[in-house]
Amino acid sequence: MRLRLALSLAWASLWHRRRVLALVTLTLTLSVTLLLGVQYLRTEVRQSFSNTISGTDLIVGARSGQLNLLLYTVFHIGDATNNIRWSTYQGLTDDARIDWVVPLSLGDSYRGHRVVGTDRGFVEHFRFGREEALSLSQGEWFGDVFDVVLGADVARQHQHALEDELILSHGGGRTSFSNHKDTPFTVTGILAPTGTPVDQAVYISLEGMEAMHIGWQSGVAIPGRTVTREEARKRDLTPSSITAALVGIERKVMTFQVQRQINEFRDEPLSAVLPGVALSELWRIMGQFERALLGITGFVVVTSLIGLIAVLLTLQAQRGREIAILRATGASPSLVAALHVIECVTLAAIACLLALALSAGGLALISPWLLENHGIQIGLRPLAPTEWLILATVPATAALVGLIPALQAWRQSRHHGLSHGSDG
Amino acid sequence: MTSETSMPPDGSAAVRTRDLIYRWPKSHTSLHFPDLELNAGSHLFIKGASGSGKSTLLSLLGGMLRPASGSISLLGRDLGPLSNGQRDRFRADHMGVIFQQFNLVPYLSTLANVTLPCRLSPQRQQRTHPSARAEATALLRDLAIPESHWQQPVGRLSVGQQQRVAAARALIGQPELILADEPTSALDADNRDRFIDVLLTLAHRSASSVIFVSHDRSLARHFDQELVLEVCP
Repeated sequence: MRLRLALSLAWASLWHRRRVLALVTLTLTLSVTLLLGVQYLRTEVRQSFSNTISGTDLIVGARSGQLNLLLYTVFHIGDATNNIRWSTYQGLTDDARIDWVVPLSLGDSYRGHRVVGTDRGFVEHFRFGREEALSLSQGEWFGDVFDVVLGADVARQHQHALEDELILSHGGGRTSFSNHKDTPFTVTGILAPTGTPVDQAVYISLEGMEAMHIGWQSGVAIPGRTVTREEARKRDLTPSSITAALVGIERKVMTFQVQRQINEFRDEPLSAVLPGVALSELWRIMGQFERALLGITGFVVVTSLIGLIAVLLTLQAQRGREIAILRATGASPSLVAALHVIECVTLAAIACLLALALSAGGLALISPWLLENHGIQIGLRPLAPTEWLILATVPATAALVGLIPALQAWRQSRHHGLSHGSDG
Repeated sequence: MTSETSMPPDGSAAVRTRDLIYRWPKSHTSLHFPDLELNAGSHLFIKGASGSGKSTLLSLLGGMLRPASGSISLLGRDLGPLSNGQRDRFRADHMGVIFQQFNLVPYLSTLANVTLPCRLSPQRQQRTHPSARAEATALLRDLAIPESHWQQPVGRLSVGQQQRVAAARALIGQPELILADEPTSALDADNRDRFIDVLLTLAHRSASSVIFVSHDRSLARHFDQELVLEVCP
């Protein structure tokens, strides 16, 4: 009965002061949204990161650090230090302990997207997320030398359909001036979206990669040395090297043995890395920033709670009369104090609800953009327990913080008589 | 929580104080009050200049301050042994209070301000006939508050109307004692006399005793008893 009275009085009081309080609540809402958003994105980005590759036991490339190898093979960031000889690649395919090897040949681009030279093994063995296989939304995997398969984003971004002819560019970069004009490629397939960097690349055969570089040995097209598609088909298109390879091991217990053997390979300096280990190292580096960001956001919330107190204490000065009336009518000091705490918690709860709505709306807006521009897939999902906990700390802190004006009101109302405090 | 404070035995004095002394916290100055004796249903006018301790006396009677020494007995009940919470409840159950001005909770409607005591005291609620809301509207009608204002925020009322709404709040649920601290000081002469008339008439109807504090001696003629508080040296 007293609680109902306190709640209804608190609500009426909040409504009465809604103009001033709306601004404080807005500040609190924005900071809680930020806190919630950072925590949510952090979890999602981590998930998205670890989803980029699975099912591959080793990534093999020229000797370099594991991060570099991971970044240029899986995330298409940065460049390889060196190539692997074709004979070395063949040695890997012949190894009895190795189940499959997918060659990757990098270095060219299509309008800023990586061109990946590979073979049928890529679509068969590459896995992402929870062991999900790649699938084609349209057409089929390349069969001919001059066939190209597009990642989902590439197709969407440039509105390509099957049978379109593409001119690939030499080297990386969004705008390249040296194009493989003589050897256009035909789109035969478009991959279904995966939410990984796979969507951002185009895929051709190793032979196609070799064919378009005939006459480009010096890095630029030498006039008269380049060939047409028909002439290229007549040449031997076996590559002399590849950039890296994804490796699946027949029996997983052999992984470390194979890794060590590759790392100690004599003919050529090689590195073999475990994707999971490399991913967690990458995340460890990112994690520093991410934790710092969360910390800063926490401070933002604390700051806006302090702002809330400042406003409540200012309002407190005007509430002396109202408290005197309530006291004279028989309200106990604890009821008066409860009013303040309830008001504070209500504001915080409203801010939290608004923040939830704002985050959900914001994510719904931003996630297509993130996927398109950064290949990061952020879906809407129910909040994790940690996130609920973070959200719950806001009203809890508000209750603590509300005790400050509450105690002040309580003390005031105990030591004042029937007067308003200002007169008599 | 809802236990009621006991009703007064029949025939006892509504208010009786003996050797009342109040001392402000952290101060050596103290106030001595003359003994009061007021029968149920009678009205007392207390005249005092500012600084004579009128408001302090009302606060002592209302149980919001504790005397340094002396005793206060209201409706046959000694306030001395009561805890703070018990005195709050006693006030809610048996007293109505009217201030000089700013009597109303700004965020409640006129009607909600009048029924506020009934929400704080189940006993006051029970004594309303037939319901708190019905009695509140009857009182507002008696006090000539236009019906269009009943559901409106109290900020739109004139000062005179606000004081009358405060009177309605003090009277609702027929409390035995009404404490009025200079309620007419913000009113003009016409309004003042009308206010006192209607207050005393309605108090008579609910058999409430009114203790009315003012510096304006001319008002004393409305009351059965009069007491003058001297300014302390």
